[in-house]
Amino acid sequence: MANRTIRVDYIARVEGESSLELSIRNGKVDAVRLSIFEPPRFFEALLRGRGFGEVLDIVARICGICPIAYQMSGVHAVEDALGIEVDEPIRALRRLLYCGEWIQSHALHIVMLHAPDFLGYPDAIAMARDHGEAVQRALALKKTGNDLLRLLGGREIHPINARIGGFYRVPNRAELAPLAEALKHARDRAIESLRWTAGFPFPEFVRDYEFVALGHPDEYPMNAGRIVSSAGLDIAAADYETEFIERQVPYSTALHSVLKGRAAYLVGPMARYALNRDRLPADIRTLAEEVGLEPVCRNPFRSILVRGVEVVYACHEALRLIAAYEPPSRPFVPAEPRAGVGYACTEAPRGILYHRYRIDADGTILDASLVPPTAQNQDVIEEDLREVATAGLALDEEALKARCEQSIRNHDPCISCAAHFLKLRVDRT
Amino acid sequence: MTGDEQPLALVVGIGNRDRGDDGFGPAVAHRLMERVPSTVRILERSGDALAMIEDWDGIPSVIVIDAMAPIRKPGKVHRFDLTGSPLPIGFAPASSHAFGVAETVELARSLGRLPQCLVAYLVEGEQFGTGAPLSLAVAEAVEHVAGRIVSEVLTILKAKGKGRHA
Repeated sequence: MANRTIRVDYIARVEGESSLELSIRNGKVDAVRLSIFEPPRFFEALLRGRGFGEVLDIVARICGICPIAYQMSGVHAVEDALGIEVDEPIRALRRLLYCGEWIQSHALHIVMLHAPDFLGYPDAIAMARDHGEAVQRALALKKTGNDLLRLLGGREIHPINARIGGFYRVPNRAELAPLAEALKHARDRAIESLRWTAGFPFPEFVRDYEFVALGHPDEYPMNAGRIVSSAGLDIAAADYETEFIERQVPYSTALHSVLKGRAAYLVGPMARYALNRDRLPADIRTLAEEVGLEPVCRNPFRSILVRGVEVVYACHEALRLIAAYEPPSRPFVPAEPRAGVGYACTEAPRGILYHRYRIDADGTILDASLVPPTAQNQDVIEEDLREVATAGLALDEEALKARCEQSIRNHDPCISCAAHFLKLRVDRT
Repeated sequence: MTGDEQPLALVVGIGNRDRGDDGFGPAVAHRLMERVPSTVRILERSGDALAMIEDWDGIPSVIVIDAMAPIRKPGKVHRFDLTGSPLPIGFAPASSHAFGVAETVELARSLGRLPQCLVAYLVEGEQFGTGAPLSLAVAEAVEHVAGRIVSEVLTILKAKGKGRHA
């Protein structure tokens, strides 16, 4: 009992391939290794030598769940390098597009991937036999998000309609009208889903995270804002690499990102909510209170509630944007090549996604740096696991594995993105 | 069929055209265009299998086409009636990535959202490399499966009294 090894060879219900190994020595958690064995994908190298106009189609291929995040960080970084300022209706359409991705990504994770952990089911298929209504709601929400992506992005997977300076084609008001009707139903479903998850049994567990997210004075952040933290960080995206560093670990194909001179930090819904709660509409803040969500949530098992609040918000915000929409006078601002370096950070469903591009005078990408949210959360996930496993040492092996997997899914890791990552192995000797 | 009319049958080709034999489903779907009556809807799906539950909502007969890892012989075609039973073990690979075809079918079964008739054609693939074409054996199976599906949907439509071309 004192010494054991627990392995989870393939961590299910996350996006990508990874494993977990826990080493327990003399009754204490000795080592935690979250190994990402998804092959390295070399997207940054792939971008070198390509024209700036190709960036969005290439980076959209990095992830099937959050392609909009990659396109949005990419478009803002390239436009930063080229000195392009877009018209307000284009900015609004980009925010509407991001709402679609938050809705479909969060709805999938909350109900299909994370909820079975709380209710004791092996997967959503088994859960659907007893909680069919909740699963039907999630499917309907996901469809609404996908419909939004299809209209604005051209298709829901690896969208093709965004371009540097704007969009290839912008919708008219009549095309958005049916989506507004669907979003009204989606908002009601999102509220019902949030109230359903509020009844889950949440483990007592609190961590003292440094939260990092975008902060914007006027809006809950998606495409714009400075990088801020609960410990006082407040920088522009251009200063990201001054404050953060990526490092290799020998057991993983994904880089780990840390704050220089400090340590692990948390990105994602909990960080966004903690740092931007007062920018949510009053009725959504009230709803969050009703479901028992504190202004700063430090229990990662309750992240499912924060995601639920963000789905409600994304529906609300999408409706607001559609109601205010006036088609832009031109679908895109022309982009002329020039030498420069551009930086951007946007809020992917899983947290901040940083892009940097160096472009030469004829518009060729000389080098690129992409730091996805899962790479930034890996150290926090390992730290969570160490504490979760320590608190669960008395559990049998299967129960401990299940609790550890649930702990990983608290952060909705996207391993395919991070390898640019799950097996659980617990070693007790 | 007008744009608002509900199709009587749906054929879904699943896969990625840029990953060798994974492009089998889309290749068959493409071959079926203009060879089936307008009351049959043809779709290609490359990533999100869960969306099929919405795709087939209200459509009585559905055929899905996909590629699978080789078991016996690349190019070998398997036909399964999934209306009453899941894909057999060995034909339903487990995935850590969201939802595949087998998981989507079983989720729909749990929810009571399966079509009245659901058939799957699976081909054993050989090469799934990035940018690879269909292997010779799988390419040869495209026309064979397309022909079988044309016959199958015409039989379905004939039973419904709507078996003529548009």
